[in-house]
Amino acid sequence: MEEKLKALGEKELARQAEVECRIFCCTSTACLASGSGETLQILEQGVQAQNYSKDDFTEIVQIGCMGLCSQGPLVRVETKDQSDFVYGQIDSELALQILAKHLPTNSHSTTLVSKPDDADLEQLRSNIKAARKKRGLVHRIISPDLPFFSNQIRIVLRETGQLNPESLPDYLAHNGYKALYKVLQTMEPEQVCDEILQSGLRGRGGAGFPTGQKWNFAREAKVDTKYVIANCDEGDPGAYMDRTIMEFNPHCVLEGLMIAGYATGASSGYLYIRAEYPIAIDRIKKAIRDARRKGIIGKSVMGTDFIFNPDIRIGAGAFVCGEETALIRSIEGMRGMPRMRPPYPSTSGLWGKPTVINNVETLANVPSIIQNGARWYASIGTEESKGTKVFALTGQLTNTGLIEVPMGITLREIVYEIGGGVPGKAEFKAAQTGGPSGGCIPASHLDTPVDYESLQELGSIMGSGGLVIIDDTTSMPEFARFFMDFCVDESCGKCVPCRVGTVQIRALLDKLIAGHGEIEDIDRLERICHLVKNTSLCGLGQSAPNPVLSTLRFFREEYEDLVATEIASGGPDG
Amino acid sequence: MSEPDNKPGEGSNHSHPSGDERYNTVERTMKRFKYEKDALLEVLHTAQETFGYLSEDLLIYISNHLNVPMSQVYGVATFYHLFTFEPLGKHNCIICTGTACYVKGAMDLENSLSHQYDVEVGSTTADGLFSLATARCLGSCGIAPVVVMDGKVYGKVTPKSITATVKRILEESLQELMEVETG
Amino acid sequence: MGDMEVGMITLTIDGKTVRVPSGTSLLDAALSHEIDIPRLCFHPELSVSGGCRMCVVEVEGKEQPTVSCGLECQEGMVTNTNSEQLTKMRKDIIDLFVSDHPLDCVTCDKAGSCLLQKYAYEYGVKETSFTEIISRSLLQDDNPFFIRDHKYCILCGRCVRVCDEIVGAHAIDFAKRGFEANIATPFDGPMIDSSCVFCGNCVQVCPTAALMPVSRINRGREWELERISTVCGYCGVGCQIEYAVKDDEILYARSAGDPSVNGDFLCTKGRYGWDFVRNDDRLTQPLIRRDLAHELGITDEPWEAPTTSPLAVRRPKVDDYFVPVSWETAIDIVCTRFAEVVENHGPDAIMGLASARCTNEENYLFQKFFRAGIGTNNVDHCARL
Repeated sequence: MEEKLKALGEKELARQAEVECRIFCCTSTACLASGSGETLQILEQGVQAQNYSKDDFTEIVQIGCMGLCSQGPLVRVETKDQSDFVYGQIDSELALQILAKHLPTNSHSTTLVSKPDDADLEQLRSNIKAARKKRGLVHRIISPDLPFFSNQIRIVLRETGQLNPESLPDYLAHNGYKALYKVLQTMEPEQVCDEILQSGLRGRGGAGFPTGQKWNFAREAKVDTKYVIANCDEGDPGAYMDRTIMEFNPHCVLEGLMIAGYATGASSGYLYIRAEYPIAIDRIKKAIRDARRKGIIGKSVMGTDFIFNPDIRIGAGAFVCGEETALIRSIEGMRGMPRMRPPYPSTSGLWGKPTVINNVETLANVPSIIQNGARWYASIGTEESKGTKVFALTGQLTNTGLIEVPMGITLREIVYEIGGGVPGKAEFKAAQTGGPSGGCIPASHLDTPVDYESLQELGSIMGSGGLVIIDDTTSMPEFARFFMDFCVDESCGKCVPCRVGTVQIRALLDKLIAGHGEIEDIDRLERICHLVKNTSLCGLGQSAPNPVLSTLRFFREEYEDLVATEIASGGPDG
Repeated sequence: MSEPDNKPGEGSNHSHPSGDERYNTVERTMKRFKYEKDALLEVLHTAQETFGYLSEDLLIYISNHLNVPMSQVYGVATFYHLFTFEPLGKHNCIICTGTACYVKGAMDLENSLSHQYDVEVGSTTADGLFSLATARCLGSCGIAPVVVMDGKVYGKVTPKSITATVKRILEESLQELMEVETG
Repeated sequence: MGDMEVGMITLTIDGKTVRVPSGTSLLDAALSHEIDIPRLCFHPELSVSGGCRMCVVEVEGKEQPTVSCGLECQEGMVTNTNSEQLTKMRKDIIDLFVSDHPLDCVTCDKAGSCLLQKYAYEYGVKETSFTEIISRSLLQDDNPFFIRDHKYCILCGRCVRVCDEIVGAHAIDFAKRGFEANIATPFDGPMIDSSCVFCGNCVQVCPTAALMPVSRINRGREWELERISTVCGYCGVGCQIEYAVKDDEILYARSAGDPSVNGDFLCTKGRYGWDFVRNDDRLTQPLIRRDLAHELGITDEPWEAPTTSPLAVRRPKVDDYFVPVSWETAIDIVCTRFAEVVENHGPDAIMGLASARCTNEENYLFQKFFRAGIGTNNVDHCARL
């Protein structure tokens, strides 16, 4: 069985090597919104216009995120003679220049794919000819040596800009499913769990629980039916790492999930994907279909006696369903109200069975760890936080986009070397990690290493990877209020600290922001934040006050200034 | 109550008395999941997609056919914000209010559109032409602030640019409507 | 867990050594040893929710207090159910509850048996230290049995759990989410349109004034009511009922709370089917038919029984058909007549039909009269029909 897959991969690799020119156009949502749809159209039509059949000499591949979203639409060109260019901000005009520059001038193809008298294509041909003289493209080259790229270690995003997300052969050509094969042929479930444990991989959804340990709990349960679930309910506003992984490398997620299934003893798996990610849903569905057709999924995975059947479940607009027990409830067709823990899902989860729930990014790391070994993975990062982390670097920054950096890298490096600093005259004020569950890190702590423990010490969390840069035009109390509004909206309502507490916190913030607050209100705010943090039933409530507490810790004067406003403007005495 | 030819277990004889074919789509999802109660969310998804919103009748239908208590169907449907209970306007605008978009001024977009068309977020204009909603992060943070108008994503928008876009779309729509009526 | 021995484990609660079967929650362990832990959403006969957060306890080795209803006892566990920290925490939680609850205690019918009021008193929460923001305003007064006043609801969920787990009617469930969540009938419609069977168990388990019996509203304060324990007469289960009585009138019925029989639960008949007690149609004197009265010389006018059923006549008046007589006369007639029948036709020619609306004691006497007195087993009861 594996021979067939290997052959498929090699055949694809060989085919790709023969193509004169491969043009990769990013069609991830960000680039799509910047107009890459039009860019793609021009490229495809242009190839047609020049009488090239795509298979012979030129290939246009729709790929996923290359990371530098702020420079989108991104287009990459790879030619047979090994030259490799990445271009940014490619609109229809510049797309013509790409065609003019890179398409082979002599067509050896005898198949005419366009009618010679098609007026539009004729026009396109002459446009391409005219574009040959234009020089605009030279200014759009994005160097791979840019600090944005060179400071990254791309493991999960390693095939960025390469992989056709809708092609199983392409995944196989890039070492796809080799890890799964290795696991099935040479490792016992216990060994797999151990390997992941030794690697130091921790949950990338935010909690940072050691993945190997979680797998072991489930593996050790003496129950016949078990489940593995990929948590694709990326709800943090400002985070799109998981979306990108699912959209551009769906097979990698599947492979990770299947290895998790083998390691824990689960033959059924679910991918819980939020409804707001329709492209991801389609890509995963296609990946499952294609994998099933090639015997990678089903009754006999790769010819072995391992059974694995994954299915998709779609979320419906509830951030709380990213919480494990709420996610389980959702799959069971119920309201996503979390349950008390213990019992933990790995002991009693979906339909009461041992269930392992892993974040998409966590699972996407698994094939690499299996292939390259735990020691390799553990050599990256810090003592307690191993490996890399994908961040969605957004906000007031020159270079925004998706990055993958080794744990332990300082915030300064991320903001200035990768991010290119804050544009214009504005100053860096803070970096917000962990979304509505996290906190702000001010300029004074820019040299903080980015790892689980260091961020927690500062009152924030690693979170799922949203990293928002704020400049001095943002008011911290208002920023905190933004997150509290989110939590009020997303609270499930089961426990009183979160249901009522978040509303009260927001009310206090509103009062302060409107200038009607008293100095005692700040203490009141802190008190209720601690109450909600310490008495809430689930992670949502427990971390909802973090943005407020964090901004109080580092920017207390902004809150105090709000009180002073009232007094200064002649408000009521006392 | 049921027609004589609606024998249970015979293919799509569960057709709705109204004859509305869309119910068959919902039925198919129920069938795919073997009518198990766990499938409630999947069924609601299909229903929302097919009908555009979940009416009382539709929810009662689902409760009866999936054998889930009506209170539970209602409780589940109202928990998830993806499900709506009123028909949407002809044109839909979703403003992303994720962190990156917020930082880049999503609230200004919300205020200007809401003001311009006299419509609250989460509702539809009186003439049923335009619905305004917000979403908590569409995952396009690299091009914040983001607005999705009739399914098309617009990035790096300003209050001015989005008002102009919406105005254009609505005017074109009204124009078409007039042409249909007079033509 | 299936083949593990259910052994006993030992732990310490408030310095007291306690032994419980493994698998017991800390809350259950405490309550079964007369250690009180405050709780709002917990109910001994329902599944655990964990939403009110009041039952927090301190556990040695754990940094933060944990809710005891969801905490499984471990061998050697050392816990405190009371401390300065816990008191402060519980007070703050009540403060939060109270911020979303109209403080109408002065005229509220639930005063005296309201759990929120109880804890507000115990923890000294006179009013909220936060801003009063009331989330729900829906008032449903759509059936003759109970009122649903959502502004007093604390979302403990007991009513939902009772309806799902004990009754199986599934009439209500949580709807929406967060601060706007409420306990809803489908589409927040009237109770009669839901699958409610009007058993009123939700009313009994409700800790606040959110669910109140209609018969009780504005009729008296909880502490003014006399509680009379009795056994329900309607069926063979014999549920323990407690009537709340004021000025010789029943205001409402609830279970007397005997877990061995019916716990906190009743059915609709036991809970609401007592209105016959004071009904105007109830007979207060023995009556005999007019033709018999004439025959016996009690009345002068002759009387022919109508050939059509009296029920064919709208609302037949008792006076048209019957004449009131004294108890002595009535018993005399019955005894004489029954004796004749027994002598001429045997005891089995007589049957007795008892009623659920008689007390159990009355029914006992009734059947004894038939079996031992008359000598027949022909005795039946309306419940069997």
